[in-house]
This record gives sequence, structure tokens and C-alpha cells, in this order.
Amino acid sequence: MSDPLDKVLGASGDLDLVAAQLDGVRNAFPRRVNADPERVEKGLAQLVLTLIELLRQLMERQALHRMEEGALSEEEIERLGETFMKLSQRMDELKVEFGLEDKDLNLELGPLGNLL
Amino acid sequence: MIYLYAIAKGLTTVPDVQGLEGAPLDRQRFDDFDLVVSEHAAKVEPSEEAVLVHARVVEALMPLAAALLPARFGLAFADTAALEQALREKAGTLEESLERVRGRVELGVRVVGEQSAPRDVENGREYLEARRRQVAAADELHESLAARARASARGNASGGLVLSGAYLVDPGSIPAFREAVGELESEHPSLSFALTGPWPPYSFAGVES
Amino acid sequence: MNDTPARPLEQQVTLLELVDRVLNKGVVLSGDITLSVADVDLVYVSLRVLLASAGTLDRLALENGNGS
Repeated sequence: MSDPLDKVLGASGDLDLVAAQLDGVRNAFPRRVNADPERVEKGLAQLVLTLIELLRQLMERQALHRMEEGALSEEEIERLGETFMKLSQRMDELKVEFGLEDKDLNLELGPLGNLL
Repeated sequence: MIYLYAIAKGLTTVPDVQGLEGAPLDRQRFDDFDLVVSEHAAKVEPSEEAVLVHARVVEALMPLAAALLPARFGLAFADTAALEQALREKAGTLEESLERVRGRVELGVRVVGEQSAPRDVENGREYLEARRRQVAAADELHESLAARARASARGNASGGLVLSGAYLVDPGSIPAFREAVGELESEHPSLSFALTGPWPPYSFAGVES
Repeated sequence: MNDTPARPLEQQVTLLELVDRVLNKGVVLSGDITLSVADVDLVYVSLRVLLASAGTLDRLALENGNGS
């Protein structure tokens, strides 16, 4: 093992984008308790939107599985697709409202592991 | 208070680095395991520096142990009895995990792209089709890398993050793995890749991997 | 981590990858006094409960071939 900070074995494209993605992990970092109501509200919004995003992904994946298996009618496919589309648009609006970006909603779940 | 850095097998010696808050590293034996800990009079303050110290300790341990499971940051116990109790509960899975990571390292692959929710779609069906293609593309990337590893783990994907993968490999396969990533890079010029490592096997230390 | 624009981009990436691993991965044991601010723990606990059930539903639905 070399210097812990010397670990990039290879990279291509825009490393800035990768670094920006990783920014979200900072949000998982223990911070001093902040009583500022605006930050508390934003933190809560982040939590709620993260949950919704995770559930959306779970449900979408389930729908995709069933679609591939041919277990959904045309009408169901259309209806589900529209619902997910609208949910995704609504999420975008909420993110803008709370000043959150995609990377802020990428909360890792630690010991729970990866459900997706 | 006892703070845990890692659980190991075949630990030859404790490395010459400091633990949290400058405390010396100590080694304790429990069953077949070597525990690397430090003792503290009071609760340790979590801080960015503490995170780095923890990482440094784990890194220093890697060449000194036959098999090493890094502990997540923040595992502190009231006393040795509490730590041993917790270990007893997990002894079976710990054994398994240690054997799996023996002699191996972790490589991380992060793939980022401009894709997010499909935008130029007319209706629900097109949306799902586009999503299916996105998911399939990410799965393909992961599968082709997982095929070159002893074990793999995958993180959540969302927004611009196409894939976040961890791959457990023998150090000798690193060049071939790099090449494989390079090939994927050239096949997907619109995506950004970052291959990092070798890491201690953080992603393969838990129960779920 | 402080924003350190002076630090090369690659080092930034490494640092963030490192923090991600140390904070989110690694062995977890029960009965520990986790060195985290209380609210972060609450997040994990409540997410764990909620998503465990969501994951189970998902799995059951896939296994049974029909859904809720």
C-alpha cells in the first residue's frame, strides 16, 4: 500500500464530474448539531427526498423486471411509465426548491448494504 | 473505551503509527482473531482528522496481516467484554469474510455520465424503455468487471452516477483489470471512469457483500 | 473535508473515495457506542427499518411473479 492519497489507477473523461459525484459522501459525515432551522429543514428534505428516490428506484426496477418478463399489459406499462416519469419530474422540482442536487441524494446506507 | 480499527488473521506486528487522538495501537487476541484497538479515557471526538487517522491505521495494517477486515469508522466499546460479546455474535461471518479477503485487495470503479432521468420521451412506455436501456448498460459494465474479480459489490446508482462498483481481486490481476477498464472506457466515450485502489477490502468486510 | 482547490483533482477523488469507504463500509458490530452525531445514527436506523421492508416486498413480488 502506498500513500493513501495516491490511489487513482486510471481515469478517463471528466474527473471533475467524478469528484462532484463523490461530494455527496460529505453529507454522511458527522457534523456538529446545527440548530439553524433552515439547515435543519434542508437536512430533513434531503432525507425525505433520498428515501423517495430510493423507493422510486426499487419500484422502477421491479416494474422493469416485470415488463421484461412480459407480465405487464400495454396499458399497465404506459400507466407505470407515466407515473415514474411524473414522479421524476416532481422530484426535480423539489430538488430545485430545496437547493439539492443528485449527489446530495446519494446517501449510502452503511451496514444495510445495497438494496439496488 | 476501546476503539476498533480492524479484525485480522496472522497479524505479525502492530504498525508503527498512532491511533486516534495520538493513542498507541494495541493488539488483542480473541479466539482466532487479532483485534487492533486503542484505549481511550473518554469518548473520542469524531472529526475529519479522526477519519484519516483510522484510514491510515488500516492502510498500515494491510502488509502486516494475512487477512484483514477493516472496521467501519466509529466502532467504540465500553470495554473488552463488550467488544468480545459483539464479536462472538458475528464470529461465523467474520471467519467467512476473512477467508474471502485473504491475500486480496479492493479496486473501486466509478462511472459517471450525463444520463439521468430520460427527458426526450413522449409517453410512459418510452420512458420505461429508456430506463431499461440505462439499467442494462450499467449492469453490463458491472458484469464485465465482476467477471474479472473474486467478488464484487455495487452501490446505489442515481442521477449522473452510472455505476459505483467494488471488486475484490488478487493483486496480480490488477494490470489485467486496468486493461479491462481501459477497454470499457474506449467503448463508452461519453462516460467518465475512475479506477481507484488498491484499497483494503472495506466493501467486503460486512455481512451482506 | 475543506474545499482544497489547490489539491490535485486525483487526490481529491482519492480522498473522497477513502472517506466513503471508512464511513460507509467496513465491519460493523452491534453493541458499539458509535462515534457519530446522534442525528446521523437516526438516519441509518430509520432508513434501515423502512428499506428492509421495502426490499422484502420487492423480493417477494419478484419471487411470486405478481405484485402489490
